[in-house]
Amino acid sequence: MADESLPIAAEGLKRYFGSGDDIVKAVDGVDLRIQPGEIFGFLGPNGAGKSTTVRMLTTLLRPTGGHARVAGYDVVSEAADVRRNIGVALQDAAIDPLMTGRELLRLQAVLYGLPKAKHGERAAELLDRVGLTAAADRRVGTYSGGMRRRLDLALSLIHEPSVLFLDEPTTGLDPMSRIALWEEIKRLNHDGTTVLLTTQYLEEADQLAERIAIIDNGVIVRKGRPAELKAEVGSPTLFIGVEPDVADRASEILAEFGELRPTAEGTLGVGLPGGSAQISAVVRRLDEAGIGVRDLELHEPSLDDVFAEATGYRLEGAES
Amino acid sequence: MNVATTGVRAASVGLAKRSVVNITRLPSAFLPSIAMPVFQAVSFAGTFFAITRIPGFPTSRSINWFLPLAVMMGSGFAGIGIGFTTIRDLESGFYDRIRLSPAPRASLLAGPLLAALVRAVLMTTIVLIIGALFGARPTHGIGGVLLLYVAGLGVATLGTGWGLAIAYRFRDMRGAAVMQLTLFLVLFLSEAQTPLSIMDGWLEGVTRINPFNNIIRLGRLGFVDAPITWDNTWGGLVAVLVLGALTLLFAHRSLDRLADV
Repeated sequence: MADESLPIAAEGLKRYFGSGDDIVKAVDGVDLRIQPGEIFGFLGPNGAGKSTTVRMLTTLLRPTGGHARVAGYDVVSEAADVRRNIGVALQDAAIDPLMTGRELLRLQAVLYGLPKAKHGERAAELLDRVGLTAAADRRVGTYSGGMRRRLDLALSLIHEPSVLFLDEPTTGLDPMSRIALWEEIKRLNHDGTTVLLTTQYLEEADQLAERIAIIDNGVIVRKGRPAELKAEVGSPTLFIGVEPDVADRASEILAEFGELRPTAEGTLGVGLPGGSAQISAVVRRLDEAGIGVRDLELHEPSLDDVFAEATGYRLEGAES
Repeated sequence: MNVATTGVRAASVGLAKRSVVNITRLPSAFLPSIAMPVFQAVSFAGTFFAITRIPGFPTSRSINWFLPLAVMMGSGFAGIGIGFTTIRDLESGFYDRIRLSPAPRASLLAGPLLAALVRAVLMTTIVLIIGALFGARPTHGIGGVLLLYVAGLGVATLGTGWGLAIAYRFRDMRGAAVMQLTLFLVLFLSEAQTPLSIMDGWLEGVTRINPFNNIIRLGRLGFVDAPITWDNTWGGLVAVLVLGALTLLFAHRSLDRLADV
């Protein structure tokens, strides 16, 4: 059974869709042990199983197998207690466009059983906190993407939850809005809120999370502190751009210097145990073979490398 | 913050209030549900005026016959209209936010039901006022009018239960077609347009076993010449209670099943 003392604990959590030959194993045996006051990053590409896991942990979806406890309560048999103790900002910030920000916060206060006298006060406090006081009485349909995200976060905080789930909270946001939301998440965590954050942005996980789990095809393939995971990758990666017709030959040569690493299309990657000291030798060797180098870049191990090493491919549009 | 257990009543009123507020924000979606019953009552009464000349027809005023039918249809649409908006919330993802709240699941049904009842009362009142201008006259005073409200609220209740259940099962606009089709079927496979006494063949057989027919009869009691007696009232009341309970139970089960898909 999952640990009752932890804010989020899952053991062998599974969610399958369909049956027979058409079965899709969206989540296939996820184990999680998230500590009180931690920001935990759940990293993976689209369709990896992040949102399905969050939907199970937040009681929206019943697991096919395994156990999970959130805020000390079982997500299946004590779903109402789980809901009372968590805040959730789901992907896409789906908010009724016909209502105003203030009306939605007041409705949320009603649904969470806050005393009537506190509805207005709490709504005003949260609107101020997320910088939406000026837009409070405008219909949400007129809000920008960033404003909707901030309102969604405010809605999830109405009852000051001890555990907060943020499902890709910054997807689609401009850099300024993203950084503002990061600051808010840090502030919440500083106040003692445990945060489970799913993201497909490596930089976001690196910036915010004390520990991360990388999920791919419904299975957690790496788990740990970002620094430790990067250290496990070891040597830095040298990325080299060459013409496609000589890529195979170039790969053979690079393999003489270290292990080949997955890269985006059109680029080759090799781990260099000797770091920058080896670069000139690599270039010389390629030159001797008559292979022209279009561009080259040495990267210290990043979460992108951790991800690539764990899954065999790189996240599209990875930012670090 | 310590969150108290959310009461069914408070959460239901909150959700109903949201539905009513949205009506004022999107009148284009609401006005047809008022206009259609009014139009139906008036135009059917004019078009099928000669129906009252059939020997034994229960009233001499055609609008007295068609007005309750229009109220039943309008009430049905007030109910399944809630199903449409729930589909919209499910498709947009807003319904997830409602489901994530600790509000009792019963309030997720009771809130929309309350909103449907408000819509049905509003619609019935407007149809009655305009119907009166076109010659509709209650034959048994306020009691008969109240029975029309009871029948209308009953239809709105079972329309809401059915609409919500289908919305939860389909989760997209395919459900809207199912809701409308079933409402039309139960409504028109009955004495909606002509009394049982002049029906023949399979339609008569279906009408006799259609429980919805009892509700239409109940709604018409205050507008036809026959006296209101317990014998011609209880069947409609039982149909309202049983069908309302069954559809709401179906909605409750379907809501629970949302966590499986």
